[in-house]
Amino acid sequence: MQSVERPYAAARMAEKEADAELVRLAQRGDERAFQALVVKYQRRIARHVARYVRRASDVEEVVQDAFIRAYRGLASFRGDASFYSWLYRIATNAAFSFLKKSAGEVQADERSDEGFEPGVTDEQSPERVLIAKQIGDAVERAMTRLQPELAEALVLYEVEGKSYKEIAQMLGTPIGTVRTRIFRAREFIARRLEPVLGPARDRRW
Amino acid sequence: MSLRVSLLLDGQLEAEEVKPALEELAAAPALRDRYTLYGLAGDALRGNATPDDGFSIRLFDRMKREAVKIEPGFDPLED
Repeated sequence: MQSVERPYAAARMAEKEADAELVRLAQRGDERAFQALVVKYQRRIARHVARYVRRASDVEEVVQDAFIRAYRGLASFRGDASFYSWLYRIATNAAFSFLKKSAGEVQADERSDEGFEPGVTDEQSPERVLIAKQIGDAVERAMTRLQPELAEALVLYEVEGKSYKEIAQMLGTPIGTVRTRIFRAREFIARRLEPVLGPARDRRW
Repeated sequence: MSLRVSLLLDGQLEAEEVKPALEELAAAPALRDRYTLYGLAGDALRGNATPDDGFSIRLFDRMKREAVKIEPGFDPLED
């Protein structure tokens, strides 16, 4: 499940506006708002960077640099595109800069070998790979046990990239029902992820 | 409150509700855990089940250590 990333529906109608208030607050110096954006997007950005940069430690460095550049440049973000699109471009530039700095062109050429699997970095510990598999399995299992209407709402939102409004129209339900169903589906999955992840305090932001 | 965490993640709160929601997150580690887990669930559904091994903590520590600030005029898309 975790080896192939399904295309994220960047075209989600609501996405451009979805982060607007968090970004506005972050631009006014609310660090918590920026942190919420980091936690929301760090995994996606790391996966993107890992397409170009091989070592896990380098991926982390590049992703950190990208978020720091984004924070420093928050005032320049005008909201013409989604915050994620902007972040994605910053991360791409950061990855290319890293490759140039570390004579990475050679690394990139080597990487085009058949054995290279995009998004899979070299130094992922077996433990980390195992946990990722366990997370994927736990989510899959949870989805099969969820009430179908909850699973349907979550898949439409997270996988199909539909907005809450579109989901309400598709399912013929009030938008409040969509909110509740997505929340209940997430909560059901979250409870099954907790034992896989271990003590929360170790990874708490 | 976990419902509001879910709505915050999806940008479904009214603008005036976002700051209070962030304050509640700041005051309640368990709600921050929810925010993280809900995000992880979505990413896992899209095939990206990489665990958070403390990346966010390390980044925020570094930003504090290096006193990273918003710099008017700085364009992060320029080299």
